[in-house]
Amino acid sequence: MTGRRAAVAILILPAGGYLALFFGLPLLLAFLGGFGLFTRGADTGFTLEHYRTLFGTRAYRDGLWFSTYLAIVPTLVSLALSLPLAVALAQTHPGQRLFNMLYKVPLVVPGIVAAFIVMTMFDRGGLAARVLAPVGIDLPKLVRDQWAIGVIIATAWKAVPFMTLIIGGSLGAINRDILSAARTLGAGPLATFWRIQVPLALPGITAAFLLTFIGGMGAYAVPNLLGPVYPLPLSVHMYVNAFERNNWGLVSAMGTVLSLISIAVLLAYYRATRGMRTAYGGEAR
Amino acid sequence: MTAIPQGTGRLRQPFLAADGRWISAGLALAFVVVLGLPLLVAVLWSLVDPRVGWFAPDVVPSSLALDHWRTALGNRTIVRALGLSVLIGAAVTVLTAVLALPTAYALAKLPFRMKRAVELFVLAPLIVPGIIVAVGIGAMFFRLDLVYTIPGVILVQTVGTLPFMIRILAATIEAIPNDLIAAARTLGAGPLAIARYILIPLAWPGFIAGGLLTFVASFEEFEKTFIIGSPFVQTLPVILWTYLGGAGIIFPNAAVVTFILLTPMLIVFFLAGRVLRDDVLASGMGKL
Repeated sequence: MTGRRAAVAILILPAGGYLALFFGLPLLLAFLGGFGLFTRGADTGFTLEHYRTLFGTRAYRDGLWFSTYLAIVPTLVSLALSLPLAVALAQTHPGQRLFNMLYKVPLVVPGIVAAFIVMTMFDRGGLAARVLAPVGIDLPKLVRDQWAIGVIIATAWKAVPFMTLIIGGSLGAINRDILSAARTLGAGPLATFWRIQVPLALPGITAAFLLTFIGGMGAYAVPNLLGPVYPLPLSVHMYVNAFERNNWGLVSAMGTVLSLISIAVLLAYYRATRGMRTAYGGEAR
Repeated sequence: MTAIPQGTGRLRQPFLAADGRWISAGLALAFVVVLGLPLLVAVLWSLVDPRVGWFAPDVVPSSLALDHWRTALGNRTIVRALGLSVLIGAAVTVLTAVLALPTAYALAKLPFRMKRAVELFVLAPLIVPGIIVAVGIGAMFFRLDLVYTIPGVILVQTVGTLPFMIRILAATIEAIPNDLIAAARTLGAGPLAIARYILIPLAWPGFIAGGLLTFVASFEEFEKTFIIGSPFVQTLPVILWTYLGGAGIIFPNAAVVTFILLTPMLIVFFLAGRVLRDDVLASGMGKL
């Protein structure tokens, strides 16, 4: 039996050790660095100073809210678009294979390219403004605007195929007999959708929500290119403080706070899916 | 994953059969507006004639030219960035596959305590925002003198690609019959021979799917590469960033780099469409 255990350890060592070294250790150092321990440059001993700066500075507080905003709003927008898209793609229709391929194209389009596309379309003097100007419609500011509409558009453009893929997988795993049973018992298409398909696809929906949420919260390039000048998300403050001000303690505190929010959402995800497992019997993924 | 018995025959879904054409029409319209139009505009921007420009209120440029393409393809920085992106992508793919295989095998085939904990730890890089990983590793790489180097960029990108690869390989290996491995062992095959003659040949689809995903992820990766490598390691996304975020936004140059970056991605994507099933893709990204 010890032989088996040694074999497992040897097999797990390459990837596990790699992640421990290049993922676990930096995170641990960042966590300690937030309290002034093992900080690059100035080793001050244990201190809460960095957290005091983070929560005491208006720009950083607003940045924290803004990061959360950039996590929640694009994710909700994408979810509202992905659900109907996933259902529509699952229906039998002419050209189904082509559409099933096309919708995934943004998955391989880099985020910066998405940002560039939003600039060409929606920035002042962009195509949308040029097309709408003769009709007399004056578009509001959509890029570098206060509500980060440009960031939301670019993020959703990338996130919708991702969410649709995962939700589509969950929808496809639903036993079709259940759907026909619902229809036989008199449920209309909408009732079937809301009361059968959505609840049974919830594990996929929540997983997609979680991953998009985390992506939005840590996003750096897209808000930097398309977002407002103020507030800046914490990710941008992290980069500036790390590489331009060499203030690694504060950076570590910011990273820890963002990680904690991610972990909180992850725990909520596990709670939600555990509830589903008991509520709907079958093993939720 | 538990297989759910599927009903036989094709059942009509909530919509009526006649609605199929409406769905196609709606999807076609949406794709033209959301995918086709923006890409067309980007193509036009890359073809703008520098002597004439493209100014409002023109909806299409009044004159097209290949000048920007010629300049870009003659530009050593861009050509070198393309080569570097391919090189880094290949290195990350190989490193990820080599690291992932043993762990994927252990997770798929061997029972052991703390399996769930190992599974979660291996997935953890998906849960933590990339910027935190990058800045955390940046602090460490400063001490190791790996910051601003190509090996540093390869190492940091691999943190992000390992979870996908492990998932996909584990799912593929799980489908290999245990009897086959047991038979090989009875006939005297050691662990290396089993890997060489059974696992790698039979898990080949997983390697292809995971490899393509990894290559795409590396090729388009910006934030970690930028933080660890810039300004000395310039991959294509980093170049595009300098055109968009730098002193002045240069749309035609950005459009050309966009297509130099997108073309390999789209080729890989359409090739992958043949080997990559949706459930494999979703198993790599979706389940936690």
